[in-house]
Amino acid sequence: MSQHLLQINNVSKTFALSKGRSLTAVDDVSFAVEKGSICVLLGPSGSGKSTILRMIAGLEAQSSGTIALKGAQIDGPARERGMVFQAYTSFDWMSVGKNVEFGMKINGVPAKERRERAAHFIGLVGLSKFIDTYPSQLSGGMRQRVAIARTLANAPEVLLMDEPFGALDAETRWQMQELMIEVAEASGTTMIIVTHDIEEAIFLADKIVFLSSHPGRIKEEIIPEFKPAKRIRNKEELLECPGYIDIERKIMRMMREEGQH
Amino acid sequence: MRQKISTGRKPKFLQVRVSVPRRQMLISAIGVWVVFFGIWILATSLHWVNPLLVPAPGDVLGATVRLFANGFGSDVLISMMRVLVSFTLACLVAIPLGVAMGAFPAVDAILAPFVSAWRYLPAPSFIPILLMWFGTGEAPKLALLFLGVIFFLITLIADHTKEIRKELIETALTLGAGRWATVFGVMLPAVAPNILTAMRQMLAVVWTYLVIAEIVASTTGIGAMMMRARRFLHTDEILSGIIVIGVMGLIFDKVFAILHRRLFPYLQEVR
Repeated sequence: MSQHLLQINNVSKTFALSKGRSLTAVDDVSFAVEKGSICVLLGPSGSGKSTILRMIAGLEAQSSGTIALKGAQIDGPARERGMVFQAYTSFDWMSVGKNVEFGMKINGVPAKERRERAAHFIGLVGLSKFIDTYPSQLSGGMRQRVAIARTLANAPEVLLMDEPFGALDAETRWQMQELMIEVAEASGTTMIIVTHDIEEAIFLADKIVFLSSHPGRIKEEIIPEFKPAKRIRNKEELLECPGYIDIERKIMRMMREEGQH
Repeated sequence: MRQKISTGRKPKFLQVRVSVPRRQMLISAIGVWVVFFGIWILATSLHWVNPLLVPAPGDVLGATVRLFANGFGSDVLISMMRVLVSFTLACLVAIPLGVAMGAFPAVDAILAPFVSAWRYLPAPSFIPILLMWFGTGEAPKLALLFLGVIFFLITLIADHTKEIRKELIETALTLGAGRWATVFGVMLPAVAPNILTAMRQMLAVVWTYLVIAEIVASTTGIGAMMMRARRFLHTDEILSGIIVIGVMGLIFDKVFAILHRRLFPYLQEVR
């Protein structure tokens, strides 16, 4: 058996509700994520995709099954699994630079190295001019860039993103999606991204894990094979790829079927 | 001069949530005080009221000058020290407890039932027992002021700490922060502006209890002076006491506002 970076085996999650009832949000889910790849969890609401991500982050414990990073069972949240949320998470009392240094600081990275790494990743997300600015003065898209730089600078094994661009306007979304490809190419970071946006999923994913709802189960793993070996860097180019429309149509059909349940 | 607006809409005086021009704001603010003092002066000079009970504004001003010339300053200083000492002690206890309650549900489970029970007991009801315990020195006064605010302060700070968005805490955790780095590195700075606001609100309450303490059980301080003045029917002195307390309150409030601006510059620079 080949060694995957992240291996999720038969994971289920049941939430206890009031009056002794319970809700199975995730039912017997298994998949693997290769090192350096972008894996997208796609599905309608109620498919448990965010719950799966939160279990990988260690913010939620699975009811059964195993989640292993490099063969070791995960136990609670840790630096190796950094997470970017949909809601803004900038620490408003710190400058952009200090925000990005935060993770390194609590993990004991020396000050000089911290500053250098922070400057590097702030440059990567295109915010070098704003290193001394407070986040409250930035736009929503820029704040998400800070969150991404902060997580990347902390050198996680895998970057987890929970609908990270859901609150952004359309144009900023595209920019951020293109930025993520750029970041993936430049840093080689493994990413798991949750979304319900089909186009976003196809653009970003090396592999799409499509989930059905109530309870969340894997319906199909989709590899967008039409994409060239070298990642496509802008969205217009994606639309021109032969095969793109077919896969989008296929996923739309799957989404619709889910909706009819 | 009326501003010329060519929209053809007739401006009404009362408009829901339509902000008022600076000029009108200034006139309104000054106007209301002019009316207040106008009625006061009119009432006293036309003898609508007994001057023994309602002295003229000029008499109150004169009494204030006289009071300060005769050592009222030390009373004011004593009152101020009582407020500052008891309030500082209350904050030193309330901030760690409140933040701990907001951060750790285990601490909340122990303290919340206790604190919320005490909160409903009016602090002045403790005056008799405080006098028996601590005698007549500074201790019973400080204890009253302390008891008057501590439980509210703890509850306010705990609530503010509980309101810190979950994502901020989870971000810290997935960046590798342990419990203490999360509490001291993220939760405490996140809640700090709200703690200062809670302190600002509760300081006003401390002044309330100060006057009660000094009226009931003190020979020094602003409240005691006012009670002495009552015995000699010096209404002008009572009113100057009230005004001095009001001015002190305003000054403290202003200090907090400046502190807020200085400590949290990032909240000021929002677009």
